[in-house]
Amino acid sequence: MTYIMSLFLLGLVLGLIAVASNPSPYFAALGLVVVAGMGCGVLVSYGGPFLSLVLFLIYLGGMLVVFAYSAALAAEPYPETWGSRPVAAYMVIYAAGVLFISSKFWGGWHEVSWVPGDELGEFSVFRGDIGGVALMYSVGGGMLVISAWVLLLTLFVVLELTRGLSRGTLRAV
Amino acid sequence: MNPYILATLLFGLGLGTTITFASSHWLLAWMGLEMNTLAIIPLMAQHHHPRAVEATTKYFLTQATAAAMLLFASTTNAWLTGQWDIQQMTHPLPITLITLALALKIGLAPVHSWLPEVLQGLDLTTGLILSTWQKLAPFALLLQIQPVNSSILIALGLLSTLVGGWGGLNQTQLRKILAYSSIAHLGWMILVLQFSPSLTLLTLLTYFVMTFSTFLVFKLNKSTSINMLATSWAKAPALTALAPLVLLSLGGLPPLTGFMPKWLILQELAKQDLAPTATLAAMSALLSLYFYLRLSYAMTLTMSPNNLTGTTPWRLQSSQLTLPLAISTLATLLLLPLTPAAVALLTL
Repeated sequence: MTYIMSLFLLGLVLGLIAVASNPSPYFAALGLVVVAGMGCGVLVSYGGPFLSLVLFLIYLGGMLVVFAYSAALAAEPYPETWGSRPVAAYMVIYAAGVLFISSKFWGGWHEVSWVPGDELGEFSVFRGDIGGVALMYSVGGGMLVISAWVLLLTLFVVLELTRGLSRGTLRAV
Repeated sequence: MNPYILATLLFGLGLGTTITFASSHWLLAWMGLEMNTLAIIPLMAQHHHPRAVEATTKYFLTQATAAAMLLFASTTNAWLTGQWDIQQMTHPLPITLITLALALKIGLAPVHSWLPEVLQGLDLTTGLILSTWQKLAPFALLLQIQPVNSSILIALGLLSTLVGGWGGLNQTQLRKILAYSSIAHLGWMILVLQFSPSLTLLTLLTYFVMTFSTFLVFKLNKSTSINMLATSWAKAPALTALAPLVLLSLGGLPPLTGFMPKWLILQELAKQDLAPTATLAAMSALLSLYFYLRLSYAMTLTMSPNNLTGTTPWRLQSSQLTLPLAISTLATLLLLPLTPAAVALLTL
């Protein structure tokens, strides 16, 4: 289990380096998918399966898909992938930075300060955050209604901002 | 704008402030602040010209940063103390972070630089909403947290009054002058926050009334720069006569209402044994007074030359409402004798 967690965390950091090294958006989106997937794996083990599920569905399946389609519409003729010179330079710099900073936090009490969010040690769906979800849907119902209203407001805001086809707010529409 | 959309956005603005006022949980307070930010974005960009869109973008970026900082501080507080209550914060790190986040939200120095540029890109009505309504929710939160570090609030306050005074001295655009005036007044509010929150509330409310009057004076005269103000003296003589008094009330001169908060704040600072702070704040108010005087001079105390159609304009019936300005001018000029009642009513 610890080995799987180490692999997930390694994948997380490598994915972050892949995103931050400034490639073209499609490759950065792939890096983000890797980061989110690995992060979800870490979350599942430490007591947040519902959060991990929501992350996969909404972040990857909703927002990142929309972003990938928008990036595909804004395609460029010579995209920079991770093999090109400037991106590789950034990757080396970030990897060196990660190694340096992690060497500062090596050993001692840093190794045992990562604790799960509940008292169950097994790998199951019924973990700590399920209780929070139950509370959110029962006594937190008002907040959910307000969240739904805010989403509707955001829709109207975005529609109002993009209305008008280059005579409106955004000239690029 | 489509009236349904306008109604929805204004409703969203009202609901956001109401939610933040009514909340005791940091998450709900954050939701109210985000709702305010979202709802005002299309109102700011409604005139579609690039300057307005630029102002909207800058506003969105700064407010989103401040809200993210607020959320981060709340989750840090939940991590450290185990609870989300606004009034029960005890750990100094989240409290300081939240103070800085709210300072960015309202435009205190040193994180004030977005305010003049954002206000300059807006029309006067939206600028009025930004200067008044959007300050209510962050102040509701600031009034509830117990400050731990005395120096940070005093530093924010003094720096804001000084920056507001010095920054406004070199401006010719009225909206930027009003932005710097806002920064200076917010500085006064923050200065006394830890000693007497009711004085902060009093300053906020008097600032609202005074700046409401000022914005409406400029709106009725259709002037956005000192030059336009100077040639507007013939348009509405009653306005030309009262505008200097409104501006001097903003500057804090007795016997006008604007003197009330400054007087009480200086008294409170002196009682707290902070005489140098009080002196510095009072002298920084002189800087602001200079540019208010310059505006009065340009509009009323001198009659700028103009051609005949400018000096004898047709005074046709304006379609703008004048009743709000009439009421707020009364409040801006004549409420000083009600100081004891104001102090007694605003107990926090």
